[in-house]
Amino acid sequence: MRLFDGQRAWVVQRISALLLLVLIVFGVLALPFASPLDFSGWRAFAGGVLGGPLIALLFGALCAHAWVGMRDIVLDYIQPRGLRLAVLSLIAVVLLGVLVRVLLSLATVALAA
Amino acid sequence: MDRHSRRLPVFLNLAQIRFPIGAIASIAHRVAGVLLFIALPVIALLLDASLRSEAGFASVRDLLSSPFWVVTAAVLLWALVHHVLAGVRHLLMDVGVGSELARARASARLVLVAAPALALLLLVWGLT
Repeated sequence: MRLFDGQRAWVVQRISALLLLVLIVFGVLALPFASPLDFSGWRAFAGGVLGGPLIALLFGALCAHAWVGMRDIVLDYIQPRGLRLAVLSLIAVVLLGVLVRVLLSLATVALAA
Repeated sequence: MDRHSRRLPVFLNLAQIRFPIGAIASIAHRVAGVLLFIALPVIALLLDASLRSEAGFASVRDLLSSPFWVVTAAVLLWALVHHVLAGVRHLLMDVGVGSELARARASARLVLVAAPALALLLLVWGLT
């Protein structure tokens, strides 16, 4: 099954890991320079040309990375085919839900701005 | 075959089995990853609520200053820091840095000690 292709999963895991590492390190370094947030400032950031794509990229990488990691764990510990497929489907639904929720929020804020 | 299996040592006393330090760092990396996966939908919902309305923003802010949150934040910060440090360790090993046994054991110990320390530091910084 292509879904379980090991080498592609490995590459996705490493690339998303590097991306997340860069985003987290720069995020933490930028934190001391951020002004205390209020609602309008937060919306302006998340709906802006910098914040919106950054948050979308962060959650895209998070979901891809989480998919490979959770998939590896399920393939290691759950052997029965039916149960394995059920758990993998649940994980996929959760991660797609997260991605859709975040992208919709960002789009709503960006369009309202 | 019978003769051999009778001589195999059976040692399954879980209280006495000692895992290698690398195995502990590795399983903790997985546990931390699962914790972060569980937190992810909650974080997405909080992000959504905080952007939706002034009241939503305020309720997320209130939630993040509750005592329950401090405990959750401590656990999640440890999970994040451990996962990142252990992940960097794995990436370095991918390119051949520190994969000899002695250095691998040393870096595993470093990750296990540094993660809770760094998490505590970030938590204190975040609370002040």
